[in-house]
Amino acid sequence: MPGFSAACSVALIVAALAGCDSAPPAAAPLLQQTSERMARLHGFHFRMQITGETGSNEPVQAAAGEVHPPDLRATVDLRQGGFLYEVEVIFSGSAIYLKSITGGWQRLSASQVAQFFDPRSLFDPQLGLFKAMEQTKSPSLGQKESVDGHDTYPVSGAVAAARMHQLLSLIRDHGAYRATYWIESPANTLWRARLSGNLFDATRPAAVTFDFSNHDQPISVTPPPLG
Amino acid sequence: MISPFQSLRPRSANRRIVLALTGAGLFLASLDAYVVVTAILPMLTTVRIPVNHLERATPIITGFLLGYLAAMPIAGGLSDRFGRLRVFIGCLLLFAAGSLLTATAGSLSQLVTGRLLQGAGGGALVPIVLALAADLYPAGGRSPVLGTVSALQEIGSVLGPLWGGLIAASLGWTWIFWINLPFAALLIWAIWPEARVAPEPRPVVRVDWLGAALAAAGLALLTLALYAADPEKSPLGPNFLWQAPLALVFFFLFAWHERRARQPMLDVRQFRDSSFSGGAITNALAGAGLMVALVYIPVLAESPIVFSMNPREAALLLFRLMLGIPIGALLGGFLAGRLRSYRLVAAAGMLIAAVGFVLLSGWSERSLQPHLLGLPLRLADAELLLTGLGLGLEIAPVSAAVLDAVGETQRGAGAAVLIVMRLLGMLVGFSLLAGYGLYQFHQATAHLLPPIPTLLPDFAVRYATYVLHLRQALIAEYHLIFVSTAIALAIGGLIAAVTLRPLPRTRWR
Repeated sequence: MPGFSAACSVALIVAALAGCDSAPPAAAPLLQQTSERMARLHGFHFRMQITGETGSNEPVQAAAGEVHPPDLRATVDLRQGGFLYEVEVIFSGSAIYLKSITGGWQRLSASQVAQFFDPRSLFDPQLGLFKAMEQTKSPSLGQKESVDGHDTYPVSGAVAAARMHQLLSLIRDHGAYRATYWIESPANTLWRARLSGNLFDATRPAAVTFDFSNHDQPISVTPPPLG
Repeated sequence: MISPFQSLRPRSANRRIVLALTGAGLFLASLDAYVVVTAILPMLTTVRIPVNHLERATPIITGFLLGYLAAMPIAGGLSDRFGRLRVFIGCLLLFAAGSLLTATAGSLSQLVTGRLLQGAGGGALVPIVLALAADLYPAGGRSPVLGTVSALQEIGSVLGPLWGGLIAASLGWTWIFWINLPFAALLIWAIWPEARVAPEPRPVVRVDWLGAALAAAGLALLTLALYAADPEKSPLGPNFLWQAPLALVFFFLFAWHERRARQPMLDVRQFRDSSFSGGAITNALAGAGLMVALVYIPVLAESPIVFSMNPREAALLLFRLMLGIPIGALLGGFLAGRLRSYRLVAAAGMLIAAVGFVLLSGWSERSLQPHLLGLPLRLADAELLLTGLGLGLEIAPVSAAVLDAVGETQRGAGAAVLIVMRLLGMLVGFSLLAGYGLYQFHQATAHLLPPIPTLLPDFAVRYATYVLHLRQALIAEYHLIFVSTAIALAIGGLIAAVTLRPLPRTRWR
């Protein structure tokens, strides 16, 4: 049956072509476009995890929450004296609220917040992570990887430590660190970002990993009831 | 529930070895029953549970009890059907798989799954090894063997918290569970030749799958209904209103099914006998008391704002109570025989334990400091030992009263009821008190705001005041939990005093 086998061959070729996608995107424009898309989002969920040597002055271990830049609502895990504590924070408008290990919500003054890090800088349109993406030096594209079930291209490059210090004041501002972004193309969706290097201690490595989800889900952050 | 293999000819050369190997497996599993209580705070750090959300740790404890309760009643029947040693190996594998999941857990869900499997595998070993012992030894001479097997299990569970605390403080808590793997592998390797030549399984024995499924569904729903996931709002589970009635429906269906079953897993009709049901309830309340002590003494000891002990020190503290239990158990058996009264000794044991809990509830942050008269002894040590003695005293008279009530042929089923009721008491009592205690703690601290760090000089003073208030609220929570437990134990004592029948006349056969 020559007709049948020919049809099979054609089908196989089509399948093979479909299997290997369009050519992988170029790293720099991918970062640029994803940076713009992420900065335009009306809302998303994030999870931040710090691993490795965080030093004694750095109590934050992890955070997770929802963001509608510049507002956000998050739970934050702090380590103190070998134990982990969880607190909740809300940044709404110009006001900042904290629900600590006991009691209800209290409103903090700017000087009180200055004692901790201000997570709003993480997703600030000028200083934040998404802006830092397009400032990544000599980006290179890696092999496709699956992140939470999404096909992504990891894009790695170097970032100035001073720039990372701007977005997360806990990070030391000396030297250069490595940044990797896991981006779904052609949707230009950022699913994961990781900063690594001797972030908190001059000699010991650490990493900060961000996972993003629910891109562009409308999120509204309202002030909590006090007391 | 458990019928002996008639065809099993005791091969005297092997039976001691088989029993020693299976007994070792049972001991290994029973060590892990309460092993987590002293290691729980380090475990929480690994799976990133904050200490101000201890409610998230509740499933680590209730998950194990649930697995144990769900698997234990059906294990005897399974071993009747498929062969003791084969089911034994299967359960040991399940226990080892649970240990592996627990040791490698990076998340709470994996940790709870691991503990659930450990409970299921470990709990199932109890009736299997008891039934095996009954197979291997003739009716006249099996009583000491059954006693030894039960003692192995009890000793293992008493030593568990100490074992866990010592390992957690030296090697790290994951080693508690890693250690199980080579031991389980060694036991399976040694038993394998015996399992291969063991008598053919008996396909005629029917396994009560439906009964087991109904009971497991009811227990799982009950555990969820009582799990206070958000103790700031409620001392019960968020879906208590539909889960608790549904659990009752499953228990009712279970009881209905068991009444009709030809070979019931659990003979529910026995509960009509007041001595039986009174003993069973007393046993459940004693189980609840033991569980509260097991969990809250180490957690209070290790709490960073109360005693700040490490797991080893907390384990040694708890060991004072655990030591009282076997001493009390021996004494209880002796006294019940001497005084010819179950109710007197059982009620006395429960009341002594209740008094012990009242004394423990009076602990303050200074309770573990002063040594009496310069001796290396504290009032707290005596209080712990007394509580353990009371909890031990009731074991023999309550067990004997329940076993007397069921008659000669039902002893195995009666013993299973005792274990099930004890674990059910542990599960329900612990869930209720954990949720209630945390709820009260949140109520007490609802307006207690921690001071925000500033450079102002009064921060240190305000912080110290805050910690003082926090410690008071925490101690008040323990006070409430311990006093509630004492009330439950006193009620158990009353029930025992009213329901337990006197000893039967000794019959020489």
